[in-house]
Amino acid sequence: MQINLRRQIGELPWGYFTLAILLLLIGMVTLFSISHQQVPGMGNTFYKQSIFIMPALLLFIIVIHIPRTFIHKYAYIAYIFGIVAVLVPYALPLRAGTHRWISFGLPFAIQPSEFVKIITIIAVSRYLSDQSNKKMKFMTALIIPFIIILIPTAIVLKQPDLGTAVVMVAPIMPILYWAGARPYHLFLLVAPLLSVLTGFNSIAFAVWGISLGIILYMSKPKILIGIGLYFSNIFLGLLSPILWNSLQPYQQKRVLTLFDPSKDPYGAAYQILQSITAIGSGGFWGKGWREGTQTHLKFLPVQESDFILSVIGEELGFVTIAIILCLFSIMIIKTIKFSAFSNDRFSALVLIGIATILISHVFVNTAMTVGLIPVKGLPLPFISAGGSFLLSSFLMIGLVMNLSENHST
Amino acid sequence: MLKAENSVTIRQYWVAIGITFSLIAILLGRYFFLQIVNNHKYKTKADNNRIRTVIIPAPRGLILDRNGQIIVDNYPTYVLTAVPGEMKDRPKQIGLLSTLVNIDSSLLTNNYKKYRRGQFVPARLAKDLSFDQISKLEENKRILPGISYSQFPERFYPSQSKISHILGYVKVVDQTIRSKLENSNDYKLGDLLGWSGIEKQYELDLKGKSGVNYLEVDAHGREVGHVLNLKKINPEPGQNIITSFDIGLQSRIEELLLGHKGAVIVSNSNTGEIISAISAPAYEPGLFSGVISPKDWNKVINDSNNPLLNRMVQGLYQPGSIIKMVSAFALMDNPGFDPDAQLNCSGFYQFGDRLFGCWLETGHGDMDLKDAITQSCDVYFYKTVQHLEVDHLAKWFSDFGFGIKTNLDLPVELTGVVPTKSYFNKRYGKYGWSKGALLNLGIGQGELLVTPIQVAKYINLLATNGKTPFLHFNITSEKHLDNYIINIDPELWDYISSSMYNVINAEEGTGRKARINNEDVHIYGKTGSAENPHGKTHAWFVGYAKRYNEIFSVTILLENSGSGGAIAAPIAHHIFNYIFNEPNHALIGYAN
Repeated sequence: MQINLRRQIGELPWGYFTLAILLLLIGMVTLFSISHQQVPGMGNTFYKQSIFIMPALLLFIIVIHIPRTFIHKYAYIAYIFGIVAVLVPYALPLRAGTHRWISFGLPFAIQPSEFVKIITIIAVSRYLSDQSNKKMKFMTALIIPFIIILIPTAIVLKQPDLGTAVVMVAPIMPILYWAGARPYHLFLLVAPLLSVLTGFNSIAFAVWGISLGIILYMSKPKILIGIGLYFSNIFLGLLSPILWNSLQPYQQKRVLTLFDPSKDPYGAAYQILQSITAIGSGGFWGKGWREGTQTHLKFLPVQESDFILSVIGEELGFVTIAIILCLFSIMIIKTIKFSAFSNDRFSALVLIGIATILISHVFVNTAMTVGLIPVKGLPLPFISAGGSFLLSSFLMIGLVMNLSENHST
Repeated sequence: MLKAENSVTIRQYWVAIGITFSLIAILLGRYFFLQIVNNHKYKTKADNNRIRTVIIPAPRGLILDRNGQIIVDNYPTYVLTAVPGEMKDRPKQIGLLSTLVNIDSSLLTNNYKKYRRGQFVPARLAKDLSFDQISKLEENKRILPGISYSQFPERFYPSQSKISHILGYVKVVDQTIRSKLENSNDYKLGDLLGWSGIEKQYELDLKGKSGVNYLEVDAHGREVGHVLNLKKINPEPGQNIITSFDIGLQSRIEELLLGHKGAVIVSNSNTGEIISAISAPAYEPGLFSGVISPKDWNKVINDSNNPLLNRMVQGLYQPGSIIKMVSAFALMDNPGFDPDAQLNCSGFYQFGDRLFGCWLETGHGDMDLKDAITQSCDVYFYKTVQHLEVDHLAKWFSDFGFGIKTNLDLPVELTGVVPTKSYFNKRYGKYGWSKGALLNLGIGQGELLVTPIQVAKYINLLATNGKTPFLHFNITSEKHLDNYIINIDPELWDYISSSMYNVINAEEGTGRKARINNEDVHIYGKTGSAENPHGKTHAWFVGYAKRYNEIFSVTILLENSGSGGAIAAPIAHHIFNYIFNEPNHALIGYAN
């Protein structure tokens, strides 16, 4: 197949790119507001973020020029490099108490997991698209993609970085669904997890037991398999509290800290309270740019990255929050559309994976800022400060535009 | 290749779109609820009530001596603070404050700039507030929004001793310090951090964990109440450290050392506990707590006696004659050497074209090895040591711990220098040095440099025939301690210890002045007068005293003070006298 390397740049969906630039602008305006009390120089958030814009755009330009066969061909090699990259920080001294970063002696460090989350999706997509001609077998088609995703996820979880681990694992269900897995099979994969979790609460466990029965009955499996599935799940649920109680307190604590990485035990609750007050007091129009009393007077940590929405909510109001969410919706829906109407299976899977990453970031960040879910350190694409993250966000939209169908030769 | 065709159905497409829309809708709904429906509630909250976090500092662990006397204590002081974000008109308020509490306004402004750490973190304006000043603040609370006072436990040194070098000091954690800390999450701005000495070595035990309280304050900075859903967290005090010091002995030695520069270490050779440790001159232990005035600082920094130097672990000295026991071991390690052979000392020795003098210019006459140690004859050692290899002697120095750290429980320790053949070759070139260097090494002169703590370890090894626990200060809990070990033939140990016994007890012994009047106590020692480029000789005395199973060792170094026998040995006399002959100073728990 002849690949035309000189892409018709004009055929790319530039509207999609415009969405990213608009979001970036909103972010920079907010960072400028946060930074106006800081000293100029490398410590200044606005200045620091500005430095990363050019490299991010450069990366974007490179990505839109890579032929998609090339991406497909080197997916596994990139995956192996990615695994190595997330392991490297373990060999380095702790940075801010975690093994997330690779430092090059520069004033900033690189967070490899930001890029590995994308590479992992490409690897899974390659695997599933190569399988398409055979009949989808449960074992190969469902289990191997899980393994591909869980290896980097486990490494990142141990760094510890629960937020990124969640984003990494999230695409597995949509990708499998897209690849043609039966919803029933996907349900069977999630069922043991739900059994374990509901096992700790009798009402939740009763509701779950009944729903499991109904779903199994409606899916009409072979009678013995159905009964086996049902009782092994129930058994697992009954067993989990017993297993948990047999753990030593320090072991339990270790598991719990893994899922609640807030290093400052009394910091998280305080932060949420401050964040909600800031956002709620912003109202429809906000208090005005650089006029946020809560964000400027209060000492809200990470307001430039994970909690940037509380600054926006307070100073620029509900109207800006709504605009941001609309821009993200358009971006995500466009990505899903590119994916659904893509001609080849590989691109379709990569695109739905990226759509999931985007929605995970948007949902987790936006929801935690207003206390809908527990605090998980996760930034908002294009808006939050953070060099590696800005680069990986532009890498993602470069990939989306590259794999979108409009410009194919 | 990309042969596989996309098989996504319209149904799947709409499911994905549907999920996306519902997630976004949940988020929009929540923001709508907060920002539009409940806007008024949060607006009032933001305008009228602000949450002030008050950090309750944890009292740092105390440092005690072996008898439970407090050496380092905490003293509650009241500090004046200002919350920048709550102040209305800063210059005006500071002016008002200045007249109220009678503190110079330029001082307040300077401290404000220095300690301002964030809009809502209280900045320290002044410390040591009196009751009078506090009442003035209480009365005028209304007109001073953001100004407040709080308790702060400061380091305080109730003991008369100045163990400043070993205790070390603490610093208040500020932005710069915090950014350099590895475990920076464990520290908040304003916490105390052990910066040197025992304070640093045992930081993890001493520091405790600060608590936090959340107070709602109104726009005037008045406390409205506690925040309901944020619980107060009480501080956990730090753990006390019990040290092996005996404050009575420590102060006694400090008195004896007044006017001297030098170091003294007294330890229990059976346990490795350091009972006294002095580096003179010392500085006031409170020098670094709180803010040092530039005047005080310059005075300390420019003092030619260098009081900040911890001579015990950072001072490097030629050991002089106190090293002769090592030289003797090195000599006896040769099969051809006969310790009983008599060699004549005429007061000097010609080696090649150089003259090497004995400290006794008239000469000692005929001597064997034991006489040479007892009377510290240099010529005997020149004549014998020249037959050794430099590296052979260096190996014996290293075996006794010179040139390596002692693993003392202090954060800083120098290693000193044990010169070897390759050291000389590197420094002077292959033909740039002669055997004369070896002759000097044999009597502890020349390039050999040791720290007093290394000497203390050496003496403990001599006192215990080669097995003594690591030197240490912390005796808070029973711990397994490693030993310094050196394996030598027991006969050789006996030979050396009887020589050291003669140094004190023989008529012609150089250490006679260390004797005490107590028949149960046997004292062993060695004097040294080390030549150095800075003037008079450094006076050394090292030794140990045995009473039944108890063994106490002393290491005394007095810089540029003259002869060890005349100047340093009398101090050993006072120390041994204190330990064995002053029952009113009975030392609890001394015996092993």
